[in-house]
Amino acid sequence: MLILRDYIVSAASQINAGAGTNGDNPTNLGVADFSLVATTLDTNNAFKFESGIEGSLKFGTGPVRSAYFMLSSTELQSDFDSLTGQGFLNQWNYGSNLSALQTEYGSVFNIRILTSSEAPVARQTSALGNDVYYNTVVGRQAITHINQNGGTMSLIYRDPYYSGMLAQNATLAVKFWQAQALTQDTAIRNLLSTRKSAAVI
Amino acid sequence: MAEYSRLAKGKFTSTGFAQIVNLPFQPDFVSLINYTVANSAAAENKVPFAWWDSNMGQGFAVEQVYSATPALIADTVTVNGISTFSAGQLLQFGASQQIVSSTKADPTSFEVTAHGFKSGDVVMFEGLYSTQYTAGMPQLSGIPFTVTRTDADNFTVPWDSTGSNYTALAASPTGATVKKVLYPYLYFPGVTFISAITTGTTTTISTTCAHNMVVGQEVAFHIPTVAGSPTQWGTTELNSLPNATIPGSPKYGYVVSVTDYNTVVVNIDSTGFTAFNVNVPVAQVPGLSFPQMCAVGDVNTGGVSISAGSALYPPPYTFPIGSTSASFVNTINGPAIKGAFVNNTSQGFVIGAGAGTAKTGSVLVGTEGDVIYWEAKLHDISYP
Repeated sequence: MLILRDYIVSAASQINAGAGTNGDNPTNLGVADFSLVATTLDTNNAFKFESGIEGSLKFGTGPVRSAYFMLSSTELQSDFDSLTGQGFLNQWNYGSNLSALQTEYGSVFNIRILTSSEAPVARQTSALGNDVYYNTVVGRQAITHINQNGGTMSLIYRDPYYSGMLAQNATLAVKFWQAQALTQDTAIRNLLSTRKSAAVI
Repeated sequence: MAEYSRLAKGKFTSTGFAQIVNLPFQPDFVSLINYTVANSAAAENKVPFAWWDSNMGQGFAVEQVYSATPALIADTVTVNGISTFSAGQLLQFGASQQIVSSTKADPTSFEVTAHGFKSGDVVMFEGLYSTQYTAGMPQLSGIPFTVTRTDADNFTVPWDSTGSNYTALAASPTGATVKKVLYPYLYFPGVTFISAITTGTTTTISTTCAHNMVVGQEVAFHIPTVAGSPTQWGTTELNSLPNATIPGSPKYGYVVSVTDYNTVVVNIDSTGFTAFNVNVPVAQVPGLSFPQMCAVGDVNTGGVSISAGSALYPPPYTFPIGSTSASFVNTINGPAIKGAFVNNTSQGFVIGAGAGTAKTGSVLVGTEGDVIYWEAKLHDISYP
């Protein structure tokens, strides 16, 4: 996963957030940035992952549009919360949580947001020296990984009896043959952003 | 017992700057022999032997160095000595350095006291304001640039800052810094940022840092529009989508020749296209997206052909600077598969250009042309 993450950071094209208010480049995320990326992918005929969630008769809930997925850092969650009322819908305010993923934080317009502590961050690289977050937005046909020559992943474990001269050391390893590829570069964008405030987490 | 120990040795010719040695492990002990020094008449500040143990700490070393007599004495290096690295998790950066001044020119020139960069290094800028948020060169912030070293305190980067919207920096502006990207090109070819476009029957693209592309590479362009000024970067006709001629079909080009490390010629007829323009107003910097050339993943040609006379298993290479194959730097990968991106992640150790604490005129990595033999070990057992 980390190889694919880093590879996407290197290979996919970028859009800098500009709808935020912090005066940096990129700015913090504004709802117009989500709209711009989704529109870009729509124009490029990318396929969405999810077909949407209907509204339901529950207080505080709302429908969710058909959507692309975006992987973001957990450090941006407070920024997403600050967009509540402007377009951000918390996952718990979906009409139904049945299709929500475990790591799903919410959605803005046509983008559903997954958060992870392993999402890519380039520390102190913005125009003003703040952390830059790579929010990767993908369509369904954008990326793949290929297992080469049938080399599927194998877990290797040899207990100390076999590998240790005095039965001291065991071997635990994973090996796989894998290549990463962008299958459709027009269906993926890294939306770069900073945070609304640089408070330490 | 050496069940899990790792041993490696090799040699290189010093450039006088920090030397990266790629290995399949991170050593905990390194020894050096500067054969050129050992094979020459003794001279003050020359370092024939040096050692490093991980327990000394990163960036340290012990060296034998010639005194004024000259006689060999023991000395220590506490900054820019020997350290291990792992270049595999996103971009890693060196220390931020204060920018003293810059010059409006093409290429743009920067003054940074004792910057320590060599030509081919990659850097990123921050806070390039002469007057906070209203004037300066913030248009260069946040994207990677290849350095061409002028001297110990000056270097240039490939960007035309002669436009009216750029103001030279002076007197060490607050927050104006530069830092080195320690291990660029982890995966390539990838996204590169465009510094110039020459239109015509073919299109010549210059990039801010090495493109690492080869002839035959398929590429796409993303030339963003700027809020309030849709033609700010100019050549938006190159955009892969939307394609006005064949709606829904991405517009791609192929690299037909590689001029140098940051210039390629693409087979797109751009006659009549809008001229490229980097003269972006400072007020548009917040939220400014940069023009990009992207390698198209599924049909790129990142590999190296094996042909008569070539090495049997040539590794894919990076092309950090220059205009000839003499500048190629091999990666640690085996022969690449044509059509696959190159994974250039690596690990090993770095021999710095640090000086001794007593003999401050000594240089651990030697001077340009010195032949240095090294041995690196990772031990089974180490106390502590």
